[in-house]
Amino acid sequence: MDFGYIEKVWPLYQKAALLTVKIGLEGVFLAILTGLFCAVVLYEKVPVIRHIVTVYIETSRNTPLLVQLFFIYYGLPKAGIMLSPETCGAAGLAFLGGSYMAEAFRSGLQGVDNIQKESAYSLGLSKAQIMCYVVLLQAVSTSIPAFLANIIFLLKETSVFSAVSLMDLMFTAKDLIGLYYKTTESLTLLVVFYLVILLPVLVAGAIAERRLRYAGFGA
Amino acid sequence: MELIKRLVTFILIITLLGSLSACGSKTYSKKNNEKKGSKEIYRTLDEIKEDGTVNIGVFSDKNPFGYVDENGDYQGYDVYFAERLAKDMGVKINYVSTEAANRIEYLKTGKVDIILANFTVTDERKEEVDFALPYMNVSLGVASRSDNIIKSLDSLGKDDTVIVISGTTAENYMINNYPDVKLQKFDSYATAKEAFENGTGVAWANDNTEVIAFSLQNKGYTAGIPNLGSNDTIAPAVTKGNETLLEWINKDIKKLREEKFFHKAYDKTLAGTYGNEYKKSIVAESREKE
Repeated sequence: MDFGYIEKVWPLYQKAALLTVKIGLEGVFLAILTGLFCAVVLYEKVPVIRHIVTVYIETSRNTPLLVQLFFIYYGLPKAGIMLSPETCGAAGLAFLGGSYMAEAFRSGLQGVDNIQKESAYSLGLSKAQIMCYVVLLQAVSTSIPAFLANIIFLLKETSVFSAVSLMDLMFTAKDLIGLYYKTTESLTLLVVFYLVILLPVLVAGAIAERRLRYAGFGA
Repeated sequence: MELIKRLVTFILIITLLGSLSACGSKTYSKKNNEKKGSKEIYRTLDEIKEDGTVNIGVFSDKNPFGYVDENGDYQGYDVYFAERLAKDMGVKINYVSTEAANRIEYLKTGKVDIILANFTVTDERKEEVDFALPYMNVSLGVASRSDNIIKSLDSLGKDDTVIVISGTTAENYMINNYPDVKLQKFDSYATAKEAFENGTGVAWANDNTEVIAFSLQNKGYTAGIPNLGSNDTIAPAVTKGNETLLEWINKDIKKLREEKFFHKAYDKTLAGTYGNEYKKSIVAESREKE
């Protein structure tokens, strides 16, 4: 181990880690919104939009992120849409993650017992109120484990960002190996930084899971 | 409590990883001792001949030096040379496609026997691998759009980005000589080209051979800076310490120079792009006999 080298490249890794986390979180946030929207559309069987959502989900789940990124970064400019690598990364994650999140939410939505909706209905709640206050909250609560698995999955998927020239952790490590040929140090740092990013997510997730799993009355 | 437990687990994982890597390096050095105390993994000339196949690392996206044509065959100046080396050695070739940044790693881990991927000889690289005699001359160059020709890197604006490929001498040069210029790094020639054509960056710094070829092949681009940095050479590289293979390649190159093989290689592979104008400057054998 060459600690002088580690000290020298440490700031670069730090910068890369921050970028990875930033774009990762942006992507995850957008994916959650997309997923929630898609899940509700499917659950409520909204006409027409439902089919568009199905097409989107199958396309996004059955193509690799790398292909999606290539399409967004190298393909869209041909149509006159030029996005920065950062935007591409976040958009790619949102596109991929949206379908996974949608499926996670959907399983949660379907897990909510019918009797709850009927009870809420008999109490005089409107459809929107039932969705917001009764069904959705419980669905979110039961789908938390799947949801967490998706977040970690998406954060790890950031490692293909080098394809769109985004200096994330993976690309930074590869680039430094190409510049200084210190493979062992570069790869060790890479593992350490990924762990530092992902382990807290895991811990926070476990805590959230315990605190928020209160759904399932009457099931 | 739970949190502390988790912290302890975390530390355990880290130590486990540490010990794992320690184990790894132990078995590694053991294996090294078998190869006359050298640190690297490689196959000697005899082992390659016995196997009947030589693994050669080439580019698959760097036209006209190493690329895959529409039939899926490897073509180009490097490949032409590789074919001849294998023929002289009496073995078949297994081409391994490489990217700029992993050329050294491929040699160190024994994934290839020889790198023939337009590999510029530099002092830093000499520490890591062994270079044979050069077969090409090169320096750096910068291509830009014809409507905004960059003639000097000092004239770049604050927000102008320059495209480089990760792991190339151009990247190294830019980092050391123009640390303030914003670089946009790509991991392959194909993606860098695509992005440049899409309008990313104001210029593209690379080997001047590549830069000139690009501006000759694509309308609307000019090699505004055709010569940058020092004049370097390109040579085949083998794993450090693989003396038998290195000696054999050097002997073969000397023989090939005598029969003007590299001129022929230029005519066959590069003349279509460069014409005859660049022959003297590119082909190494015509400049000096090292």
